[in-house]
Amino acid sequence: MARFTLNVNGTARPVEAEPDTPLLWVLRDGLALTGTKYGCGVGLCGACTVHLDGAAIRSCVTPISSIGASRVTTIEGLGAKGLHPCQRAWIEEDVAQCGYCQPGQIMTAASLLAYRPRPTDAEIDDAMSGNLCRCGTYARIRKAIHRAAAAGTASRNGAGR
Amino acid sequence: MSAPAIDRRSFLQAGAAAAGGLLVSVWWRPAVVGAAEQAGTSAALTAFVEIAPDGTVTITAPRPETGQGVKTSMAMLVAEELDADWARVRVKDAEILDEGRYLDQFTGGSTSVSESFLPLRRAGAAARALLVGAAAESWGVEPASCETEPGVVLHRASGRRAEYGTLAARAVGKTPPESAPLKDPARFRIIGKETRSVDHREVVTGATRYGLDVRVPGMRVAVVARCPVLGGRLKSFDAARAAAVPGVRAVVPLEPAAATLPSGRPLTTGAGVAVIADSTWAALAGRSRLTVEWEEGAGVSESTPALSRQLAALVGEPSKVSLRSDGDFEAAFSGASLRHESVYEIPFVAASPMEPCNATASVSGGKCELWAPTQAPGNARAFAGAALGLPRDAWASSVTVHPLRPGGGFGRRLDQDYAAEAAAVAKAAGVPVQLLWTREDELRHGLYRTTSAHRLRAGLDAQGKPVAWEHRVASPSRYRYQKSSSPAQSSEVTADDFPAGRVANFRVGWSEAESLVPRGYFRSMVPGMSLFPIESFLDELAHAARKDPVAFRLALAGDAAKLPYKGHGTETLETARLRKVLETAADRARWGGKLPAGRHRGVAFGLVFGAYVAEVVELSVAKGDIRVHKVVAAVDCGLVVNPAGAVKQIESGVMDGLALALRLAITFEKGRVVQENFGDYAFLRMREAPAIEVHLIDSGEPPVGLGEMGVPPASPAVANAVFAATGTRLRRLPMRLPEAG
Repeated sequence: MARFTLNVNGTARPVEAEPDTPLLWVLRDGLALTGTKYGCGVGLCGACTVHLDGAAIRSCVTPISSIGASRVTTIEGLGAKGLHPCQRAWIEEDVAQCGYCQPGQIMTAASLLAYRPRPTDAEIDDAMSGNLCRCGTYARIRKAIHRAAAAGTASRNGAGR
Repeated sequence: MSAPAIDRRSFLQAGAAAAGGLLVSVWWRPAVVGAAEQAGTSAALTAFVEIAPDGTVTITAPRPETGQGVKTSMAMLVAEELDADWARVRVKDAEILDEGRYLDQFTGGSTSVSESFLPLRRAGAAARALLVGAAAESWGVEPASCETEPGVVLHRASGRRAEYGTLAARAVGKTPPESAPLKDPARFRIIGKETRSVDHREVVTGATRYGLDVRVPGMRVAVVARCPVLGGRLKSFDAARAAAVPGVRAVVPLEPAAATLPSGRPLTTGAGVAVIADSTWAALAGRSRLTVEWEEGAGVSESTPALSRQLAALVGEPSKVSLRSDGDFEAAFSGASLRHESVYEIPFVAASPMEPCNATASVSGGKCELWAPTQAPGNARAFAGAALGLPRDAWASSVTVHPLRPGGGFGRRLDQDYAAEAAAVAKAAGVPVQLLWTREDELRHGLYRTTSAHRLRAGLDAQGKPVAWEHRVASPSRYRYQKSSSPAQSSEVTADDFPAGRVANFRVGWSEAESLVPRGYFRSMVPGMSLFPIESFLDELAHAARKDPVAFRLALAGDAAKLPYKGHGTETLETARLRKVLETAADRARWGGKLPAGRHRGVAFGLVFGAYVAEVVELSVAKGDIRVHKVVAAVDCGLVVNPAGAVKQIESGVMDGLALALRLAITFEKGRVVQENFGDYAFLRMREAPAIEVHLIDSGEPPVGLGEMGVPPASPAVANAVFAATGTRLRRLPMRLPEAG
């Protein structure tokens, strides 16, 4: 076992784990952050998506030894100052069914909007097609991302304050 | 509106809620309580209405939410008759399996809404009557002179009013009337109103607790190595390298279970080696370092091509079991002006919800505590009890079940072999254990919706009207183990499906195929299998008769009639409702209208568990690649409790139907599942998701559920559109054009 100190949701968290342990299991088993989900274990479904320095990554294929001092953000830490615009939009568009994949979907969408504040449908499809939804809620996810993008723009322009 | 028949006596009780509010428990004892594992026949339900002094109403939803929206719709039924202020309603899940309290905690067969419609409204009405009674008593007036507005009792004559929260304490200990009057549906304020799911906030913040999120003190994590060959046994194993992995606590062999479930189904889990560790990663690492020798057994002979040949041979000869026979098929067929015949094949599929199988168990002193993501907590108890070898009459007292929200159901959480395995591992481990199935475990060691072949033959008269119809089905049946199953119920077809009763010489038969593949459920079961051949074949007949596919179906449906129907969810097939959904879908999809270059349409319709569904698919084909752009669905599920939820369920069902049409198959080679993970068992992705338009038709009939109804018409509608686009008829699922890369 090796010791690591992870920066998770703005807090330093000491953990002990084998260096090859995927971040997913450190979050879920070690830090009790169960909002990040296991779906496939090989980076095919996106249920485990978290942010590493703001970029969406698949935590199920990211060894803890590769993280260093990078900032890890999970769904629990996304809306640190209240709900993130994506979370609000997901509620307003009545997106979720079983909901299991949605934390991962939201993390990918939030990262997309950080880089591309007003994405087109094609850009959304490209960014989101690594995230599987077994309930097939894609059309609503797409609408929610547009809604969050509009809310984000409004907020930056001061209209949302 | 006619009410569904309910043969149950009602008992009402009121008691003090823990929070000092009003707790109303209402249950309807069934005349016959079905076996715990009996699917689709749920007859009883308990609801709890709790009202806090601040007016917050908490409704307990007894049936598990799997993503199909029942938590919301069940609460709407209670809140409507309670005359609650929906903004002040909170909904919670039943946290324990307690048949004395809830009686029925089952989600399956799209039955939750239809079976809850009256009982849950009565539960709400009883609570309302208690509040009215408390107000009337304090005001010294007759209860009949009082009325309610959302969250408030009023006495108009004196101008007095009281909020539910202030009345709740007075109503404690009172007995509600045996049958409080129900609202006239014309006065519904909540039922029929588009309502968002009640638990979005927890979902989007990651707070929802699914099966894998439960944490029990002292819990360890386990994974199991299983024989890759169907039915194989453990010969020997070497645990040295696995045990050396830091964090691995124990490596234990599991004996195959030799138990039979109440339904008659044998328990098929248990042969393997469990690795029990402090963390999931240690358990997985330990399993990967195990050396295991398996006794592969007879399963190695199982292969998809061999089974396919068996099915083809079976439908090539007269069916072993006759399911329906009208008139004289042979005579009418041989005398027909035009004869047509086709064979279709459908593969095994795995439901594979996003959250893979898992369960957490603690076993000691002959007692078992189980936390399981489940559609059927009663089944979970049966599987665990059977796996532990407990006598059946001790299950209720020995196995405590905490139902957890599943990350998707799709039928996979009805049979709960994973709960059985968790109980067995926990017993062997001597500590609480969370058992995880990886995605590979889920796809390779699961329960599969069965495979089937369908041979259809029909004869048309000189006007192009079908006068003879034969449907031969062959399948290894899912239902053969069910004690109650007659041969007719064992097949993968409902003999009364359209166009039964509309073709004078009509017969349906079934032959059982042999296979070692364990069979389970998948959203929309029998119609999900039978509509593909039936609706594809109807399209073939329309083309053979040079008729428009919509006009051909409408003509065959004929005049309004209620045809007898022996199948799940309904006892009649109403041709007027069937016609109406087809006409609506065709109209909204502008059937026959001009399409952009390269776009083509296909249509299919059917009766699915009591709901009528038609879908028009619009697609294009480029270099053999089938791309679905749009699906227009029309649905008549009777009265719609939550239109927002209904639309979502059809959207989701269509997506599942398209995945079945284009992607999903579990295949076997030398007794092993070929597919491994979402790479080769590929549900659709966002860029493949079409626009889906849903039109709900309120026929005023009693409500039925919608969890499964969107699925069945999608695959034949795709096949029919592919034919329109290419002239190629695809008769095997998943569909693949020969020129596809």
